[in-house]
Amino acid sequence: MPRITFITSDGTATVVENADGTVMEIATENSIAGIEGACGGVCSCATCHIHVQPEWIDRVGPPDETERDMLEFEEATHPGSRLSCQIELTPDLDGLTVEVAPLQ
Amino acid sequence: MSQCPYHDPFKDAREKSAVLPTQFDGDPVPMILGLKDVRKAARDFKTFSSNAPFRIPIPAEQDVRSVRQFPLEVDPPDHTDYRKIVEPFFKRPTQPEYITRVENLVGELLTDACQRDSIEIVREFAIPLQSRALTYLLNMPESEADVWIQWGTHVFRDQSGVSKGAEMEAYCNQLLDAAAANPGDDFFSALIQAEFQGRRLTRDEMLGFANITFAGGRDTIINTVAVVIAYIAEHPEALDALRENPKMVLTATEELIRFTTPLTHIGRVCPVDTDVHGETVKAGNLVSLCWASANFDESIFDAPEEVKLDRKPNPHIAFGNGAHNCLGAPHARLLVRTLLRKLCELTSSTQLIEATPKVEKEADYERQNAYESLTVQISGP
Repeated sequence: MPRITFITSDGTATVVENADGTVMEIATENSIAGIEGACGGVCSCATCHIHVQPEWIDRVGPPDETERDMLEFEEATHPGSRLSCQIELTPDLDGLTVEVAPLQ
Repeated sequence: MSQCPYHDPFKDAREKSAVLPTQFDGDPVPMILGLKDVRKAARDFKTFSSNAPFRIPIPAEQDVRSVRQFPLEVDPPDHTDYRKIVEPFFKRPTQPEYITRVENLVGELLTDACQRDSIEIVREFAIPLQSRALTYLLNMPESEADVWIQWGTHVFRDQSGVSKGAEMEAYCNQLLDAAAANPGDDFFSALIQAEFQGRRLTRDEMLGFANITFAGGRDTIINTVAVVIAYIAEHPEALDALRENPKMVLTATEELIRFTTPLTHIGRVCPVDTDVHGETVKAGNLVSLCWASANFDESIFDAPEEVKLDRKPNPHIAFGNGAHNCLGAPHARLLVRTLLRKLCELTSSTQLIEATPKVEKEADYERQNAYESLTVQISGP
């Protein structure tokens, strides 16, 4: 089972081992500050915005059109901006590090 | 909606044009129809401003209230500071003890419903549920709900035709007086103690916050609850699917909220003459951001008139979008999620006995997303 690291806006790193589900689900289950996931993961609310670290962008892949449209209006966007509800943490993402986008 | 597929009243208009030119209150109002266009307009407060007391809800409300609603009828950056004052209350629904209270409330109401031969959902279930749950949000004694229940489905425009707006304002004034004399940790005390940009709120501002808190989350939640119950009565297999896959409650909630889209639209004012997808809006006139059309936009949603409980992604904007995104969304989501879970747990069947749809009739569309009354028989497990 993969491991994931969340870095919150105050710089705190939280490592979750044996993580399962989407990155948003893992974040909310572990009370990561700044990830609300209000809509439960259907790409409707943009309260799970994260920045994928540059070295992981290719492996995580780009957002699809629905997600891109949501991110278009978000502030604090970044080349690695993703809505974490749309990223399933698969074994090949073992070791992924993401930063929580600053809250507006 | 009952016994037939939902009819999206904006479908033809959306095929023809980006906007439906229509009229409200005797003035021309183009309704923006497509999801991407509505979302873009909702974000562009300079072109489409909320700085228009009484005119952001459509039709306008100067006849049913005496105060500007806060933070709804204000643009950023002031809007941001006003909103921060009440945000902590509206985030309470994510607290575990709050979730437990809502679970207990829905459980109590459903258990009671199961013991009756039949129950009229709007008056005997949805209004008490909405009113009692609101006491949790505002951190007030649950007995206050007894007052609110008397206000009916819509404080301003109930089917009786009598607006309870003045009664509600007088009630809010009394609560503010009581909070000023003896502040506690409820919503009204927070308003009394709040600071906005280095000063206290005026009484009208406090009343404006209270006004939308009571009016905005009322018919919307009541109507959504009724639509959910009607949907379950007509689709008993839905609860089996949710029992089999409890996680689907989350997607089902979003889908039923998209399907209901309890608030058809909201207004914005153009401060200067503006071309809105080919329609000229004169300075000071309104446009409508039509959530109900956007949420059935076939370029975004596959088979939008179908309820797909596992629809994902589901980028609906039933709670609006942008800075004015519905403050009550976490509370509303919790109520619908809890309702679905408790229906799975505590009921075996819901039979439709009588349904009288409520139709929103306007100059260029008719929309049904609610019930005047909905009588069902709910059976326990």
